[in-house]
Amino acid sequence: MFRDRRKLIPWYFALPGLLWLLVFFLLPLVNQVGVSVMSGDPEAGYDLTWSFSNYSDAIDQYWPQIERSLVYAFAATVIDLAIAFPLAYFIAFKAGRWKGFLLLMVVLPFFMSQVLRTVSWQLILTDNGWVVSQLKGIGIVGDEGRVLATSWAVIGGIAYNYLPFMVLPLYASLDRLDRRLIEAATDLYASRPTAFRKVTIPLATPGIFAGSLLCFIPATGDFVNAALLGSSKQYMIGNVIQTNFLTVLDYPTAAALSFFLIGLILVGISIYSALLGTKNLTEVAG
Amino acid sequence: MSDDPQTPPSRGEIESHLERLLHEQSLMGRRRFLGRSAGAIAMTGGLGAFLAACGIKGTAEQNVAQLSKIAASVNHPKVPIGNWTFSNWPLYIDKSVLKEFDAEYGGHVKYVEEINDNNEFFGKVRPQLTSGKPIGRDIVVLTDPMAARWVRSAFVTPIDKRNVPNGKNLVDSLLHPPYDPERLFTLPWQSGALGLGYDIKATGRELKSIKEFFNPEWKGKVTMFLDAQDSASTVLIGEGKDPAKSSLDDHLAAVEKIGKAAKQGQFRRFTGNDYSTDLTKGNIVLALAYSGDMVQLQSDNPNLRFAYPEEGAILWTDNMMMPAKVQHPYAAETMMNFVYEPEVAAKIAAYVNYIPPVKGVQELLEKSDPELASNPLIFPTPEISKRFFAYAQLSSVQRQDLDRAMAAVTGG
Repeated sequence: MFRDRRKLIPWYFALPGLLWLLVFFLLPLVNQVGVSVMSGDPEAGYDLTWSFSNYSDAIDQYWPQIERSLVYAFAATVIDLAIAFPLAYFIAFKAGRWKGFLLLMVVLPFFMSQVLRTVSWQLILTDNGWVVSQLKGIGIVGDEGRVLATSWAVIGGIAYNYLPFMVLPLYASLDRLDRRLIEAATDLYASRPTAFRKVTIPLATPGIFAGSLLCFIPATGDFVNAALLGSSKQYMIGNVIQTNFLTVLDYPTAAALSFFLIGLILVGISIYSALLGTKNLTEVAG
Repeated sequence: MSDDPQTPPSRGEIESHLERLLHEQSLMGRRRFLGRSAGAIAMTGGLGAFLAACGIKGTAEQNVAQLSKIAASVNHPKVPIGNWTFSNWPLYIDKSVLKEFDAEYGGHVKYVEEINDNNEFFGKVRPQLTSGKPIGRDIVVLTDPMAARWVRSAFVTPIDKRNVPNGKNLVDSLLHPPYDPERLFTLPWQSGALGLGYDIKATGRELKSIKEFFNPEWKGKVTMFLDAQDSASTVLIGEGKDPAKSSLDDHLAAVEKIGKAAKQGQFRRFTGNDYSTDLTKGNIVLALAYSGDMVQLQSDNPNLRFAYPEEGAILWTDNMMMPAKVQHPYAAETMMNFVYEPEVAAKIAAYVNYIPPVKGVQELLEKSDPELASNPLIFPTPEISKRFFAYAQLSSVQRQDLDRAMAAVTGG
């Protein structure tokens, strides 16, 4: 009896968190699951009819945007990784007393609203602006070309907006890396590149894993960048969901798309974590 | 990055798998499915009941006669004005008018520039309206088709005309809109036309026709409105049709025409009010534009022009309305009365550059600002007014069909 009660203690501690999840995560989620299998129209209202065909219809109709969202999010995540790894490495290993300052620089853009940041890119990248004319000068953009309203602008915008999400976890895992392990590797006749490949990168994997998820997941559902920097040819699934909720008032389709996206991402993550072997990862990260 | 819709091999697999899954679900049949889930429902404490209770209410459309009966008995007694709320579009009033109102009638008007798009605003307040709760705004300003939807769905409170004696100053042409023939629920705020907004330096010539939106000369440098009815109506006028007399199918055909051109890269973007950035920055040369905006934008870029299309133009009106269950009707009506004083209306017209719905404004402006008084964008000449068209009256369901078609076209 006494022992049982002691067993319960951790649950009491978890109670506020569990209640929070129940009220603010689970209830809306369950509600929207219900909406996703409703049918009706804005005049008559929408009733629960278990119309699972909402899913196949929505996926059929909006597959190009789903696919595009995944491609854009993937591209932006790869770009972020390529930029963030050297940056985080530099901050963790070489920045010395500038560490705090550089980390502040990384997070500073977050002090401004995402919409404002993106609108300012809209103004910087105008067709007749300085940036585009320089790009034309060095031949990156054709004479008749433009930057805005292209896939590149949208991917660039996403990469820009989510970069700090990649830098911070990478920095965290590189910073606590035990440097004696690298020294040991070089003592055992590993060249610097080999030590980097065989010691630093594997030990940074938890950071790579966390960072790429923190980028990829919100990027897939992003709609601000496509709306402001793209044209209708760059619309992502987030734009479709928003339009269906607010303009078309087709709540079931919007909800079905949201859940399909959640499912898709969950499947993707499980494959990804299986590939990276998260079980071992968490042990390493300890 | 290509936009090539070529599909990776995984797509087929995912889809067929999903299809199988869904097929199994539907084979199970609704009754069996419900039966089987009954146990689960009991276990999870009425999850199904919770879901069913989450059904989304519709907007049972009322008939106007029934509404008029309610309107006849409306009585909003004079009460002291406290704090109340006025929701409007951005940059749509000379704010000194609000200060004058507070000073003259007391209380404080919370003026919120929150309406950027009729549909989005409706989407935001729809849940409260359908469940019969106040939306916390005392005046909202919405464009004809949306105003019509609110009237039909009884989302409005009738205006007690005894509190708005200046309503007699409403111009004759706006007295009897089809959705509110006696103006029992709505009172115009401003009107404007949809036409060609263009940069004459970039085009090198004057543009006059709706055909220009489809002219390959401007390929990739044109924008149209996201709003399905705005864009479709303009295309219909371009084809010599009267949108108000056109069917849903006509509108859908117009959307299809827009979609075809969009596929060929004719349109840079589909926009709301934000076409102005693209136009002033030179990203585009031609936009489907609001008449009044162009007067304001000319101060940023003097090369911008607005043309009433030679085929005709949609004349839209934004209407002040009190939402159902309005909390401060007397304050709202007092404001409606205030902005229908010609002096106040003239002040607003001089600031927003749209077509004022109040008689006597042009005469007042002739004295104070003759240039403004002769501006055809603010006071269209009779020849221009002859070619004004109204929107078609679409039901919510028809409107959803049209919006869905437009979303497919603009969603790339």
